[in-house]
Amino acid sequence: MRFAGVSLVLCALATAQTPPSNGPRPVDPGWHALTGGTAIVQPGRSVDHATIVIRDGRIASVRENGPVPPGARTWDCSGLMIYAAFVDPHVRVTVPREESTSAVEHWNPNVLSHRTALAVGLDPKRAATLRELGFGAAAIAPDDGIFRGIASAVSLDEPGEGESRTVLKDGVFGTIGFAPLSEPRGYPSSQMGVIALIRQTLLDAQWHQRDRSTLRPFLDELAPRKRALLFDTRDELEALRAAKILQEFELPGGLIGSGFEFRRLDAIQATGLPVIVPLAFAPAPRIESIDDRERVTLRELLTWEHAPTNPRRLIDRGIVVALTTDKVKPSKFWTQLRRAFAFGLNHDQALSALTTTPARLLGLERELGKIEPGYRANLLVVDGRIDDEEAERRSIWVDGRRFELEQPPEIDLTGRWTAALELGGAQVDRIEFRSNQAAVVHAGDAEVEAKRVRVRERQVDVTFDAEPLGGAGLVTLNGVAESTRMFGSGVAADGRRFGWSARHTGPLEDDAKSKDTDAAETTPPRLDITLPLPFGAYGLTEPPASERLIVRGATIWTSGSGGILDDGVLVADQNGKIEFVGPASALPAGTTGTTIDASGLHVTPGLIDCHSHTGISKGVNEGTQAVTAEVRIGDVVNPDDVNWYRELAGGLTAANQLHGSANPIGGQNCVVKLRWGVSHPDAMKLDGAPPGIKFALGENVKQSNWGERHTTRYPQTRMGVEGLLVDRFAAARDYAKARQRDPSTRRDLELDALAEILTGARLIHCHSYRQDEILMLCRIAEQFGFRIGTFQHGLECYKVADAVAKASRGASVFTDWWAYKFEVVDAIPSNGAILWETGVPVSFNSDSNELARRMNGEAAKATKYGGVPPSEALKFVTLAPARQLGVDDRIGSLEVSKDADFVIWSGDPLSSMTRCLATYIDGRRYWSIATDIEARKSAAAERERLIQLVLGLDETAFEEVSEPGDPTRLDELDNLPGDCGCCQEVAR
Amino acid sequence: MKLLSLTSALCLTAVLSAQDLTPKAPPQAGPIVIENAILHTIDAGVIANGTLWFEGGRIRGVGPVASELGIPPGAERVDGRGLHVYPGLIGANTRIGLEEIEAVRATRDFDEVGDATPEARAAVAVNPDSTVIPVTRANGVLSVGVIPSGGLVPGRAAVMQLAGWTWEEMAVDADCGIVVEWPSLSSRRGRDDEERVARALEQRATIDAAFRDARAYLEARSHDPALATDVRALALAPALRGEEPVLVRADNVEQIQSAVTWAVGLGLRVVILGGEDALLCRDLLRMHDVGIIVTGTHRLPKRRDAAVDEPFRLPAELDAAGLRWCLASNSPFYNERNLPYHAATAVAYGLDHDAALRAITLSAAELLGVADELGSLSVGKRATLLLTDGDPLEFTTEIRRAFVEGRAIDLGSKHTRLAEKYREKYRQLGIERK
Repeated sequence: MRFAGVSLVLCALATAQTPPSNGPRPVDPGWHALTGGTAIVQPGRSVDHATIVIRDGRIASVRENGPVPPGARTWDCSGLMIYAAFVDPHVRVTVPREESTSAVEHWNPNVLSHRTALAVGLDPKRAATLRELGFGAAAIAPDDGIFRGIASAVSLDEPGEGESRTVLKDGVFGTIGFAPLSEPRGYPSSQMGVIALIRQTLLDAQWHQRDRSTLRPFLDELAPRKRALLFDTRDELEALRAAKILQEFELPGGLIGSGFEFRRLDAIQATGLPVIVPLAFAPAPRIESIDDRERVTLRELLTWEHAPTNPRRLIDRGIVVALTTDKVKPSKFWTQLRRAFAFGLNHDQALSALTTTPARLLGLERELGKIEPGYRANLLVVDGRIDDEEAERRSIWVDGRRFELEQPPEIDLTGRWTAALELGGAQVDRIEFRSNQAAVVHAGDAEVEAKRVRVRERQVDVTFDAEPLGGAGLVTLNGVAESTRMFGSGVAADGRRFGWSARHTGPLEDDAKSKDTDAAETTPPRLDITLPLPFGAYGLTEPPASERLIVRGATIWTSGSGGILDDGVLVADQNGKIEFVGPASALPAGTTGTTIDASGLHVTPGLIDCHSHTGISKGVNEGTQAVTAEVRIGDVVNPDDVNWYRELAGGLTAANQLHGSANPIGGQNCVVKLRWGVSHPDAMKLDGAPPGIKFALGENVKQSNWGERHTTRYPQTRMGVEGLLVDRFAAARDYAKARQRDPSTRRDLELDALAEILTGARLIHCHSYRQDEILMLCRIAEQFGFRIGTFQHGLECYKVADAVAKASRGASVFTDWWAYKFEVVDAIPSNGAILWETGVPVSFNSDSNELARRMNGEAAKATKYGGVPPSEALKFVTLAPARQLGVDDRIGSLEVSKDADFVIWSGDPLSSMTRCLATYIDGRRYWSIATDIEARKSAAAERERLIQLVLGLDETAFEEVSEPGDPTRLDELDNLPGDCGCCQEVAR
Repeated sequence: MKLLSLTSALCLTAVLSAQDLTPKAPPQAGPIVIENAILHTIDAGVIANGTLWFEGGRIRGVGPVASELGIPPGAERVDGRGLHVYPGLIGANTRIGLEEIEAVRATRDFDEVGDATPEARAAVAVNPDSTVIPVTRANGVLSVGVIPSGGLVPGRAAVMQLAGWTWEEMAVDADCGIVVEWPSLSSRRGRDDEERVARALEQRATIDAAFRDARAYLEARSHDPALATDVRALALAPALRGEEPVLVRADNVEQIQSAVTWAVGLGLRVVILGGEDALLCRDLLRMHDVGIIVTGTHRLPKRRDAAVDEPFRLPAELDAAGLRWCLASNSPFYNERNLPYHAATAVAYGLDHDAALRAITLSAAELLGVADELGSLSVGKRATLLLTDGDPLEFTTEIRRAFVEGRAIDLGSKHTRLAEKYREKYRQLGIERK
């Protein structure tokens, strides 16, 4: 921490240098005593009738009924509450790149780890705004890029002319964001690319500790454990991704939350990280037209309903929570804080989250957050408790200096005032003030709402229409008010002047009062209900049960040595493994368990999609560079994608999530099981699946169909594709040798992945169409001595089946797509059958969220277009993809000791008129018609309940509370339209 | 069986080009009779062991008793024992012939420049040598609606049979309706921003103006025949006179409602193309007897929370609601061959099997205005039919023979020839499955 120490001293010197004064020097004794108030000295502890003595910016003493030292200026705080001023742990400031950078730069403009927020500091206006909200100190942090730079804690005082703001602590943490710069555009563009860049940079920082041959200030700054790293997250999945990075590099850090943490509370809790929680609760979705009503999602509605419980829920889980003004409009901070109170946050929790916790996070727990001797004199004076809806902030003290805030009105007219004035036919006998801004004038049974009511200090002006009261025209009353009396003069419509007086005779009747406060308040939801996972329709509140299952009576298509069993039995044990599969006659006597009668039905292994882009967050392609072997789909698995659920409903149980085909060497794949409702995305991953990587050849990587602007990136020809691949493999070979010779050689995540291909540890799944390019990759594989995983799409594999069989694990193809671009003019639906005939392993894949729901029908096309026997055709979507992915020891066929992933069908699985009835993974029922009907019913009921609430809301409930650009609705951010580059939608 | 042997011989001449070289059948030369087959007439039930004969491209007789059908002596006889006869399937929503390779701009002929281009006629741009035609026929789809798209009024649709030397020979109805792309006020996802709504309303006004201006022009011209020719206005005349429907693409509730009200207000006959939300405005659709061409079941549920089978179930629910509808596909132009599987999925999810067959034959013909020519095995209609070994909705069913307006169709295609070509490669290499 040496650097931090040095800079602190420098800052102290800087503030000691005061500029010469223009005229006589101002002298501030800096000696104050606040008396008579209730001091909340720290959350949960208060001192009544406190005398707080301040000297030179620090608190000197806090005593109940303590004496006021002679010489101190006294501030009467009787009836007021005094809190430690709040501390905001994350205030973002815009630091232009050029302000803070030097000639020595990281190649990627998103890496600005050495940039400091102090380069620009905090604008006095923003400091004033924060003070008004009750804050006395804040950490300011740069706000764009990925490695954004260094945050520092500053005082929110008002420096005099020529003085600089007091820096409380330089370098409190560094921040990292998941949103790459929009300008300049470039690498990375996807979330997985962002994570890859973070990972490589953190590795470089470790390596830089040893290799100091070059000045790399951006890496110095990231020296392991030098300072905490806070990740700015836009949703709960980003929070989990941030936590994984911190864990991988064993770095201290925390999260700048999104406000959506409650949607995955268990997983967030398990990270153990502190969360800086914004109060930008999502506004209610607008529901006006029937289109709105149909389109609004339960996820949106539930998010609106539960968002204000977020702070409370996080605190209840023991998560360290600090609140922030970040991500919420300043004008909405207090209304949102009060919503949080209304939704369960309690006074002491909130106070900790606003004072002691952020102070501790900033390492300023001995300076800020409490009212104790020696602490900075940062105080917030309020005329009630902060959780009191009506309480007003009166003043704030920052470093011993007082700033006045809202002052109470001199007089509050609310109540009934009896008057007697004669207005040409109207006998005004009563004025009911609802507030200092509204009143109703009564004349006997007649009444009229005043057109205008104004109270300035003690001066009262009222204008009303006398006509409904029996008079004529507009009348003005002007007067002064004392505590219970009011008198003055008035002017009638005809210009006549008159005198009048009124007497306060009691409070308002309840019904009159309620008119003012009937703004519909929604009832906060209960905190003890379990929220569904994924959050929204079809989410689960508990994982599907695991039990011993006996499926009887079905025709079982084993895709294994058992062939097709006519009256088969399948037994899954409690651990989700297959215990028995065979004819009923061979079932060991006494086998017990939950029996599923599947008489007349068919059972197959769970279907496997060898080419999927389902559930990949924020970008399927990192297409900004020709080679992105370092990016990993496994970093961005999105378990919330409703398409998983839809695919389960079609009997799919596993998928090979692939990077798109925008570049010759894409990212690393991820093999998942469709375990809907997992707490952490990683729980979807199929353990032990051999790692793979996406490659791509042909038109997409040549950018042939990307438009005329895309003609400069290498490669633009199939010749260049080969050249690039050979170069990269040669580089990987050199790299592996260098690393072997000298293990301290800089790790390069791109070459790591490519070197794994050379050792056979990583499987290439290569998007390819034409026979020439397919053969080309076969020859490269031969040259470098590895075996290819699969040719994906491989629509012309039928032309070079012999080469494909020799060099790879076969082809994973579309059944009948063709003619969507030039390179597929020779695609034929018999491709699969011809490959099968020639002994090439072949699977059918979807590359489509829609088709992935009907893969059994795709299998049938192997029979249709080539006469592959049905039991073999089914293997195109079961055993064959399992083998190609290297997971056939676990899935792909129904055989003893494999995973109990199976599907029950209404009939022959290869019939176009068969339906999936139930889908099991690991012996657990993840989907069935019955559970789906229940889920629909409850989703529909929930939607209606919430829509009813929304329809009754005031306009204010729909107002955006966040600053433009801050996401209060995740679903707009996530699942950006697919740009996989290999599906037909994209080729278009 | 002279024709059959001729075509199979030609199958072996593998020809590879974007231009299809599958031989074209000549017009029917003499009467053909299919005997002892199971006849799925669509409009008159199933005849278990029936006879059907056709001559000059028209069906002349259908019935259980051959002797009552007036079959001329010397007719070519086709033994239909154990086989089924269906009318050719009709793909109501395609771009066949207007597009050859999706990503190659030069081959795309379905979207003319301009917001309202009713003069653009799909029929005249249909390439009779498209490689897609034989591939589509091979799975039983023998006639198609060819629908221009893009802009607001992209042009005139045509019903084409998938056989003929020229587009003229192929045309069953070269002008079957004006296509209108009705702008939606709401986006599929996210909120309706005001800008979008304003733009959509402006576009609707443009469409409305095109029709109203045309009406005014036609009125003026009827009084002043010397008025200069306005091809756009003239193109709209049949629709304005109610002789042709407007085929309005609309899927969202509000879109369907406003489209129908607009068309009805102008006195147009309206058919909805799409209709994803048709159930939500069933009363309106029934009231104006609006037909709906449902564009496919193989799509994702429209909205995040919708039931997983919502698109699969839509046909069954439209049918139960008593609406006038047919089923088309939303497959890309090159995969119209999958039309029967869209119907099959509807059957799996509740649609009556006969209704599903009707939805891709007679109902489609009705909504395209060609029910007097196509869609059922009825006397007087075109002899456009299939001979199969089973239900055409089933994947593994084989289409044995097909006739388009009496022409015996070669069921081979570039696909079958390429398969044969490369099977030969492996025969030469001696490679086979072990």
